[in-house]
Amino acid sequence: MIVLALVAGLGVLATLTALVPRAVRVKLVAGLLGLVEIVGGATAIRVLATNHAIVGHTSSLVPFTGVRIDLTPLGALFTLTTAVVAIAATIHWVGYRRHAMSSVSLSSAFALFVTSLLLVPAAGDIVTFLVLWEVMALSSLVLVAHDHAKRDETRQAAWWYGAMTQGGAALITLGLVVLGGHAANPSFSAIAASASHLPAATRGAVFLVLLVGFGSKAGLVPAHVWLPRAHAEAPAPASALLSGAMVNLGIYGIVLARTLLGVGATWWWLVAGFFGVISALYGSLYAATSTDLKRLLAYSTSDNMGLVVIGLSASGLFAAHNAAASSLALIATLVLVTAHALYKSTLFLGAGSVQYATDERDLDRLGGLARTMPVTTAVIVVGALAVAALPPLNGFGAEWLVVQSLVHGLSGADPVTTVATAVFVAALALTGGLTIVAFVKAVGVGFLGRARSESAEHAREVPVSMRIAPAITAAACVALGVAPGLAITAISRASDAVAPNRSGLTATLSGFHLQALRSAVDPLALALGAVAAALVVAGLRRAGGPRTGAKLRVFEPWGSGRAVTSARMQYTATSFAEPLQRVFDDVLAPQHDLDVSHVLESRYYVERVAYASANDDIVERRLYRPVLALAAVLGVRARGLANGSVHRYLAYGFVVLVIALVVVS
Amino acid sequence: MSAFANSLASAAVVVTVGAVVVLWRHRLRSIVAALSVQGVALAATAALLGIHEHDRGLLAVAGLVLLVKAAVVPGLLARVVAANPGARESDPLVNVPASLVVAGLLTLGAFVAARPIVALVGGPTGRLVPLGLATVLIGFFAMVARRRAMSQVVGLLLVDNGIALVAFLVTSGVPVIVEFGSTLDVLFGVVVLRVLLARLSAAGFSDLDQLRSLHD
Repeated sequence: MIVLALVAGLGVLATLTALVPRAVRVKLVAGLLGLVEIVGGATAIRVLATNHAIVGHTSSLVPFTGVRIDLTPLGALFTLTTAVVAIAATIHWVGYRRHAMSSVSLSSAFALFVTSLLLVPAAGDIVTFLVLWEVMALSSLVLVAHDHAKRDETRQAAWWYGAMTQGGAALITLGLVVLGGHAANPSFSAIAASASHLPAATRGAVFLVLLVGFGSKAGLVPAHVWLPRAHAEAPAPASALLSGAMVNLGIYGIVLARTLLGVGATWWWLVAGFFGVISALYGSLYAATSTDLKRLLAYSTSDNMGLVVIGLSASGLFAAHNAAASSLALIATLVLVTAHALYKSTLFLGAGSVQYATDERDLDRLGGLARTMPVTTAVIVVGALAVAALPPLNGFGAEWLVVQSLVHGLSGADPVTTVATAVFVAALALTGGLTIVAFVKAVGVGFLGRARSESAEHAREVPVSMRIAPAITAAACVALGVAPGLAITAISRASDAVAPNRSGLTATLSGFHLQALRSAVDPLALALGAVAAALVVAGLRRAGGPRTGAKLRVFEPWGSGRAVTSARMQYTATSFAEPLQRVFDDVLAPQHDLDVSHVLESRYYVERVAYASANDDIVERRLYRPVLALAAVLGVRARGLANGSVHRYLAYGFVVLVIALVVVS
Repeated sequence: MSAFANSLASAAVVVTVGAVVVLWRHRLRSIVAALSVQGVALAATAALLGIHEHDRGLLAVAGLVLLVKAAVVPGLLARVVAANPGARESDPLVNVPASLVVAGLLTLGAFVAARPIVALVGGPTGRLVPLGLATVLIGFFAMVARRRAMSQVVGLLLVDNGIALVAFLVTSGVPVIVEFGSTLDVLFGVVVLRVLLARLSAAGFSDLDQLRSLHD
């Protein structure tokens, strides 16, 4: 309790420290914030190590209900993940100073954001949770809107993000208040004890409301529209926190809903699984086709959260008939959440470094950065391999566990669950393929080959703190991939708080063992085997090649037997994704605009061809735009109500008062 | 009925009748005078309750109400009126006979709507609660139906007096500090509105609907 008060106090102090003069501001705030993160992370480690929740209640600070703290091992896992991501983001922020991130408002918002992210999982009752949740939402909104004076896109992103986050918070408030109204007091433990007495319809409705509310924070389709905008426009340290920490808390919320309401009916998890599948496929498809590096990462976040929700749904669906697979799915989900936090923050920090060095986010204008920015390229490659779930990185273990739980959950399942599980596995497979396309494109086009623009050509490696920051999270990706033992112990403790672990999962230094399901894998051995196989293939090729003396000459395909001499002869991000875009033409519905103008004298000669293609978000275009247009029309109509007459306004108030009295009496 | 109940009822009725007079009279001077009489009646209500309950605090509240609502606030408004002694509410949005009918209907409605409160409070004080509610509604209606900026200010004060009457009757005595705070708020509001009114009339506006051109 005292430790968490210390975290909150130091966080507030760091927020206020933003008022010191600019020369020392970033260093002071970052120093205090580092302390906040270390204390918060250490507290979380203690909770996970001792398996004892930190519980406390004080009636001061907030009137009526007071502040209630309940940091369970589940919450501690999220706090610990946030702390690691936040340490990296803070170090990156110290180097990010050039981009006006050192202003008073942004420094204080950053400190407040980090503190609230660390404390949200420690909230033990509705009021504490919602207050911290709002502090988190509003401080991150300030960070997203950092460049609002100069860029219209930033303003747009801030509007979308603000509207979506407040809408989500309204739903969360509604759901929690309905639950709290039936409980003895607003603490989560009292709610969990009383929720089982509620009628099934009420519990189902509350679950749906909470799923949509928390799902919008997790970036589930179709409530994902804020995500590509906000993640792309926010400064890199903030993007890393948004994607590596805040989005997780949406998942924390859904798990919280399960602890409060119980596992519930099958249809709950079918609905959740539906959104998960849609998000995974939609996110990975847009990640594969977008050309903006940060938008690509944002869509990939949506995709990963879809996979996480698939895992959660599988856990809920299997709970009735297969406790082992159900608990395994839950653990797999949490492993995936932590893995995602680490590799996605690596990638966002790396992308931020690229943007810092080149002022570009468009992959079609990058290229050749491997030579000029070797450290940044290396961390991006590690992150990309982890996203693509290749051994021995942490993404592999996570997805292997999800697949294991799905495959083993089939035994004893009813037909509906069987079909749903099959769909989940198919979605997982397709998503995996599309993710590899997306990240081969990101690394291949953005970092290999030749530079496609002046700024990419003259890019210089970023300051040392910006190189260290993503390297920390990248190292964590490798460590958790190669030696998952400790992390798995911690995560299975966290999931024990929700459902007891029956899967017999243990992890050693070099692999996972599922005793109950008789299955095991060793990521490190797999990776070493793959490297060995690659060496063997390379050796065989050399042995089978031309005799010594003859020189082997390799040419680019379609290069007419010449080496690539111009940057324009390379694949671009657009052309790389073009075949995929063609396959999914009906889903993506990209907009093409071809304008051919002919020479006056003859229609057989073309004077000029203008081609533009846009691949904007189809959910936004087909679902949100019509609603927004309708709202705009209604707003213009409603302006007639307000004609400037004071009497009319008074009359509105008077009529409402009289109607209210009539209704009451 | 006891003398206390009778005198309390008379004072409360004067408060409501004062509101009706504001709707009835055209001359702004009479309207301000009605407001002043209403203030006296309100103070009398508080004083009667204070005597009955042997509550010195309530007597202090009565003194405060007498000072501010019967003397200071009407005095401030009277000074604005004095600048233009013959000013009349010449062309109200709802004419006087219709306004009086509406006032009657609102009073009826207040009696219907306040039944739960009457049942809750009970006794001679509870029976008078609808009068306070009627004063609130009539004051609000005066703001809607009258054109002059001065009438609007008076309407706002009627609403405030009605609320104060309900508060006295329902809680049988408001703590001095609460009443002091709310009275001070009203006083500040009137001072600001007085300055605004003086500026408006100096700029040649007296009808609020002339301000419609400020609409974007």
